[in-house]
Amino acid sequence: MQIVVCVKQVLDPEMPRSAFKIDPEGKRVIPPKGTPPVISPFDENALEAALRLKDRHGAKVIVISMGSTLAQAVLRKTLAAGADELILLEDPAFQDVDSFASASILASAIRKIGDVDIIFTGRQAADWDSGITGCAMAEELGVPCITVARKVEIADGQVMVERETEDGFEIVQTSLPCVITADSGLGELRMVTLPGLSAARKKPLRVWKAADLDLHPFPSRSRLVDLYVPKHEAVCEMIEGRTPEEAGARLADRLHEEGLLQPGGGRGERR
Amino acid sequence: MILEIKDYLDDMRRCARCSLCKWPPLAQMKSWRFSNNCPSIARYNFHTYSGGGRMALGLALAEGRLDTITDEMLNIVYRCTACGACDSSCKYNAELELLWPIYSTRAHLAGMGYYLPEHSLIIDSLRKEDNTLMKPKADRGKWAEGLDVKDLSKGEKAEVVYHAGCLYCYDPELSAVARDTVLLLKQAGVDVGIRGSQETCCGSTAFQLGFQGEFTKFAESNIDDWNAAGVAKVVTSCACGFGIMKSVYPLLGKEMKFEVLHITQYLDDLLKQNKLKLSRSFPARVTYHDPCNLGRKSETYVPWKGEGKKVLGQFILREPEKVVHRGWNGIYEPPRDIIRSVPGIQLVEMERIMEYSWCCGAGSGVKQTMNDLALWIASERIEEAKSTGSEAIVTACPWCEQNLKEAVKAAGGNLMVYDIVELVRRAL
Repeated sequence: MQIVVCVKQVLDPEMPRSAFKIDPEGKRVIPPKGTPPVISPFDENALEAALRLKDRHGAKVIVISMGSTLAQAVLRKTLAAGADELILLEDPAFQDVDSFASASILASAIRKIGDVDIIFTGRQAADWDSGITGCAMAEELGVPCITVARKVEIADGQVMVERETEDGFEIVQTSLPCVITADSGLGELRMVTLPGLSAARKKPLRVWKAADLDLHPFPSRSRLVDLYVPKHEAVCEMIEGRTPEEAGARLADRLHEEGLLQPGGGRGERR
Repeated sequence: MILEIKDYLDDMRRCARCSLCKWPPLAQMKSWRFSNNCPSIARYNFHTYSGGGRMALGLALAEGRLDTITDEMLNIVYRCTACGACDSSCKYNAELELLWPIYSTRAHLAGMGYYLPEHSLIIDSLRKEDNTLMKPKADRGKWAEGLDVKDLSKGEKAEVVYHAGCLYCYDPELSAVARDTVLLLKQAGVDVGIRGSQETCCGSTAFQLGFQGEFTKFAESNIDDWNAAGVAKVVTSCACGFGIMKSVYPLLGKEMKFEVLHITQYLDDLLKQNKLKLSRSFPARVTYHDPCNLGRKSETYVPWKGEGKKVLGQFILREPEKVVHRGWNGIYEPPRDIIRSVPGIQLVEMERIMEYSWCCGAGSGVKQTMNDLALWIASERIEEAKSTGSEAIVTACPWCEQNLKEAVKAAGGNLMVYDIVELVRRAL
């Protein structure tokens, strides 16, 4: 079995708040000094899903990552965790591409690898939170896609996936090959160990440029119009009353006025 | 980000390659054998490994003159304990910043995703388990099991919080020192508490490796926790923790409603106030190793921004006046006074002491990532200690103690390594 895991290098979503700065003119987030990029957390869950299948059934796990400048120290972590091969799709042409273009480039690389049974990726990336790439990649490859997976099992050439829903989970079964996008419920990526790091040094790392891939034109379907840090304003209003009951009644009226409470216990319109 | 590499362009450009960063000042040099001050240049003997060479590398990086960052370049950057000896030596003559450009170079590289693979183990452990030693967070408070001491994380109040630090919490041999410390403080009537399993790393290793974002989170969280606990004093036995809390925490701009003290300062005060009395004799000839973070690196760093004007064609006058950190205001006398107060003990000094002290080799993640270098540096210190005719070397930092002990074990011989608290406990 051959499994491909698509991981994205993103700015650390857990960077200190004071380190987060944007360049509104250039419409980009300024990479903070002293805070390295990381693998998008849901993509780490996706890698863990692949490694668990490898543990149980035996498989070759290939990690691919795409971008204009990729940090090898960051992405080599995937090899140290247990992946067998790392392919970096690194080219200036891959800078600031949108989700659909990303899906197209990744699909080209997967076609080039060939004979892939499962393609894992995170449910969405921690930078733009679009959640499109996995599904668009499945569309491009013409294979089924199961999203928001929290458990993946394989039996008799079929894959069974528990996927998160708003009020629980559902089990979806499909044939291979397929794309599965992983949720955090799947579990954290295993801790990297020193022997794992030593082993990673001997594992293959390949860099493919745009010219190495049979790329269809990938015009961006989205355009970044503006980028700004939203202002959060909090206003504190004290509701007075002669008795607690009166204050409570006034509070309910005030919430109702704001559309946050509906008579009859409904959740009301969110503002 | 506390300070960026561009803030040190002037210092890096003014480095004249005089190489005085490689040795203690001539007036402080006592023999050829122990005339080095920088472990990295002493070991690898190639200019880039020295403070000045690191300035040249940092400058090339800041000016965008490096096409690629190679693995060997990263090895050079991190084969350095960031002990600050180069910084103290340079300031004897030239007053350039050396240590902070080293920190900033690392932060710049880390921001681009360049670091050693082993660093990811340390940082992952920090993010998941709140310590750099890859140990479970839940086990952090185990060192204090059975000790009758207040736990501030459970809402109890105390005047002093004792911050044990990662190594004292998790190393079974060293945690005896942390237990001894709490017992000593209680014996002296100090209203002391700990934070048990809720204590977290000080962030020192992350900062020194260039992961300043990770450091900032831990530092801010510690300051908030100690402020919220309402403690008047934070006392720590870990010199690395003390150094970072004194020198870098104030730069974060958060109000610190507490005083930070190293255990040697606190014990020295207790002894001088007769709250502890050392009566048992400890007849031994010992020498004292100054931990870098307790000494030259513990001065509160005051960043300078201004203009340097050349006068008379050669002197640079800075406007506004710059606070120059020469390492003179480190904690040097309290540990020596404690040792001298032990009956029967004879304290003899090594050649390289105080702000010109030779590093133990464990700092800045070198112990965890390049143990061979760490042990070589420590073995040099062991040789220097032996040259004084001492039977023991005393120190006041768990990293120094652990590394020196390992080096003694590797080399063989009878030299003992003591933590200063252990000495006090024996003499009570």
